[in-house]
Amino acid sequence: MMNPHILLVVIVFLPLVGSFVALATGKNKRLCRWTALTFSCIELALISFVFFLDPQPQSGPTGIWLLAVDYPWLEVLGARFGLGLDGLSLMLLLLTAFLTVISILISWEVIQDKVGSFHFFLLFLEGCLVGLFLATDVLLFYLFWEIQLIPMFFLIGIWGHSNRVYASVKFVLFTFGGSLFMLIALLALYVIHGHQTGFYTFSLYELAQTTLSPTVEAWLYAAFLLAFAIKIPLVPVHTWLPDAHTEAPTAGSVDLAGLLLKTGFYAFFRFAFPLFPGAAQASTPLLLALGLIGMFYAAWIALAQTDIKRLVAYSSIAHMGLMVIGLGILNVMALSGSLLQLINHGISTSALFVMVGMLDERLGSRDFTQMGGLWKKIPIFSAFFLFFAMSSLGLPGLNNFVGEILILIGAFQARPVIAILAFIGVILGVIYILRLVQDSLFGEAHAEHNFEDLKPREIFILVIMALPVLYIGLHPGPILKLFDSSIIHMLQQVPLLAQNF
Amino acid sequence: MQVYWLDILPILILAAGGLLVFCAGAFLPRRPAWLLFTLALATALGAGLVAALKTPANPSFLGMLNLAAYARFFGVLFMVITSLTLLLAYRYSQARGFAGDEFFALILYAALGMVLVAAATHWLIFFLGLELLSISLYVLIAIRRDTAAAQEAGVKYFIMGAVASAFLAFGIALLYAATGTLDIQASLSSWPADAPLPVIMLALALILVGLGFKISMVPFHLWTPDVYEGAPAPVTAFLSTGSKVALFAVLVRLALNLGEPAWDLAWPALWVLAALTMAAGNLTAFHQTRIKRLLAYSSVGQVGYLLMALVAVKQGSLPALLFYLAVYALMDLGAFGMLGALSETREDLDELVDFQGLGYSRPWRSAILAVCLLSLAGLPPTAGFLGKLLLFWAVIKAKFIILAVIGILTAIISIYYYFKVLVALYLRPASRELQIPRLDFGIGLAGATILIAIVWLGVNPSSLLAVITNISAILPR
Repeated sequence: MMNPHILLVVIVFLPLVGSFVALATGKNKRLCRWTALTFSCIELALISFVFFLDPQPQSGPTGIWLLAVDYPWLEVLGARFGLGLDGLSLMLLLLTAFLTVISILISWEVIQDKVGSFHFFLLFLEGCLVGLFLATDVLLFYLFWEIQLIPMFFLIGIWGHSNRVYASVKFVLFTFGGSLFMLIALLALYVIHGHQTGFYTFSLYELAQTTLSPTVEAWLYAAFLLAFAIKIPLVPVHTWLPDAHTEAPTAGSVDLAGLLLKTGFYAFFRFAFPLFPGAAQASTPLLLALGLIGMFYAAWIALAQTDIKRLVAYSSIAHMGLMVIGLGILNVMALSGSLLQLINHGISTSALFVMVGMLDERLGSRDFTQMGGLWKKIPIFSAFFLFFAMSSLGLPGLNNFVGEILILIGAFQARPVIAILAFIGVILGVIYILRLVQDSLFGEAHAEHNFEDLKPREIFILVIMALPVLYIGLHPGPILKLFDSSIIHMLQQVPLLAQNF
Repeated sequence: MQVYWLDILPILILAAGGLLVFCAGAFLPRRPAWLLFTLALATALGAGLVAALKTPANPSFLGMLNLAAYARFFGVLFMVITSLTLLLAYRYSQARGFAGDEFFALILYAALGMVLVAAATHWLIFFLGLELLSISLYVLIAIRRDTAAAQEAGVKYFIMGAVASAFLAFGIALLYAATGTLDIQASLSSWPADAPLPVIMLALALILVGLGFKISMVPFHLWTPDVYEGAPAPVTAFLSTGSKVALFAVLVRLALNLGEPAWDLAWPALWVLAALTMAAGNLTAFHQTRIKRLLAYSSVGQVGYLLMALVAVKQGSLPALLFYLAVYALMDLGAFGMLGALSETREDLDELVDFQGLGYSRPWRSAILAVCLLSLAGLPPTAGFLGKLLLFWAVIKAKFIILAVIGILTAIISIYYYFKVLVALYLRPASRELQIPRLDFGIGLAGATILIAIVWLGVNPSSLLAVITNISAILPR
């Protein structure tokens, strides 16, 4: 019986190898696309295989994981190549592989030049994200956290829209700036641990056991908070997001919204909270405030938008704000809701970006006040658009509702006032989504539209995105059970937080 | 006392090789560039191999040189730098008409000067080595006689170098007057009881000024952009990497040997200078649109990071410093070298607009340049990232937190201007048609070596780190 833990290493390196193969076949566009698609489908199959393997938690030198590997890497620094899978990372890996397949499929006809490089960056990004979600060694995590900037920079900068250079440079500067502060905090923690125990290590499990004085812990946590807040993004360091989303090509937006934003939240859950529990607990009021501000501010700005992509970008900020509220409440229900929302937001918002991309291809414009009456012209498209818009605003029976209700009920149990405010924020979200739907799909047509409805490839993409939306909305139980083990796992590493329960 | 002449075999090889190149140039009127280049490359590679493989029988050579692991590490590093420079400069110099014997021989003599400087334990031999290095560089910078910029750069470097040497000579003389010895270790630590500390501090200050000019430390860095811009690109590469690394080897030796009362007064000054250098270098690079000047100011910033580690050298930052010196040498060689490889014959590639679109028309050279820039910025998976990581680790371990924060802030600033070049290379369409010579074997080999080294060291530097840790265990005395 093959050692299943080896699968983790394969899962990390397969997309990286695939990216170089795609680059090599770049001259032949058809071959390149099919190669990239094959690699991403094999990756998805592997991760699904792990999902169905249903591994049980095992204890190891790096903590309690479902699957884990730990190889020597930089012995002189105490950094190891450590990967660990738990319920949360498994779901995020599934999301990563799934969205990469989607990105390749939707770019099939849109991306016509430098096809080899495009798929190189897409698959390379997938490899980096998979590594990020699996890393149990903080230096390895930091490495993947930084490397993911490079493919995104090129994806936005080369294949993006008119203002792409500004958007990609802004994205890099913001993200890299935050990460460098995290680097200092990381090194300080590493040095303090080394002084206390006498041996230097970057292992998350070991570093989480360092005793820190409250002031030092607060400073280090603040640096981590800054880096992750830029990524999530939290107001006021969110200003890179609307530009990056609007100017990115559709596949770039899918990856950015679906995956890169999740890395910030995941990093909070996996690294910031276990490493600095005292400071994290003290910061929950700040997180709640920033989450609420994010929801209201993003909704306010979204109401003023005329560009669909920019509106969906702001809705991302609002959704992530609600998730951060769930993180700030810190009870099992709210945390389950937030983690589920990670997956839900990944699928729904990506689906919206996919549809916006399709609309952009046909219309040449993203200004929805100039649309209207699309339902009569392209009914299949409109039906899907309505479906995903409803899922995004939280219609019961669809995926976002489950996450949102869990967060709201969990919040109501702990801090009712916050819950009420969050609920108002959710209502605001309903308003701008409905306005979007009404202006674009219904009413009278503003301009003469003469284009075709969805092609079979596009219908296929939307159907496979709609299925998880329905499934999670109607039967979220198994996934929530997976998250339970992650939440309990985090609590076991963080005794202070467990006192809350 | 028996003298083991074979211990200084690398030095002898370099000297003999230089003479051989000069002779070949003198006796063969046509001065075939291929022959001169091959002789020079063989010399450099030979000296490097000997330095790497042969352990000296007696590390202390005539009380003048210390040929132990520390000097051998730098010897190998200098030979790598020299070989790569020769590969990058061969076709470049041929196309521009200065591929004569003086060019190749002077590169070898500059390398010899570097080796002497790094191995010196006596002030006189150090001064001799430094002068040999400087004089060779004066000529190399001005070697292209058909452009006024190169001549101007050469004169500027010469005047600056002369002033620096004057400061250095006076400082050494004062130190001798105060301590009565010209042995480096003795003059810095084992002072007679009545050695006047103020005179020693003045001497050290003058020596620091002299060395500071050469390594482009703020506020003695103002010559750097003009000289880097005017000199031919491979010479700039050589100057930027080789002379800086050599002088840092000396600075480390001086810092480690400096006695307690003097070091307690010296390190705050170094702290301030490191902070100023990082800040000034990175802030002025921000506004540059001429890339040779941008890279020049960026190398000033890199010197700032190295000085930051120097402040902590007595608290164990030596491995990080040595690693970053090696990585910096590779990165900067790659950056300037590829800039030279992408240049038209008329003048070097300088203006930012000329870089536009090169990522697609000259993919390989641009890719190597891009990787070097990413490494200078400190992004994984390049060696520059691990180098910065080690540097900041060493500085934080030594509890210089504020200095580390200043370093991080300047690193953030630096990302912008490195990405400016990347944006031009890949995200903007070409502005005009450039007559760039075809990629040749020498440049390709050098570029490939640098690329593989940077990426390999970025992911798996264990072997190099092991060597460096062994060297650091035996402090250079």
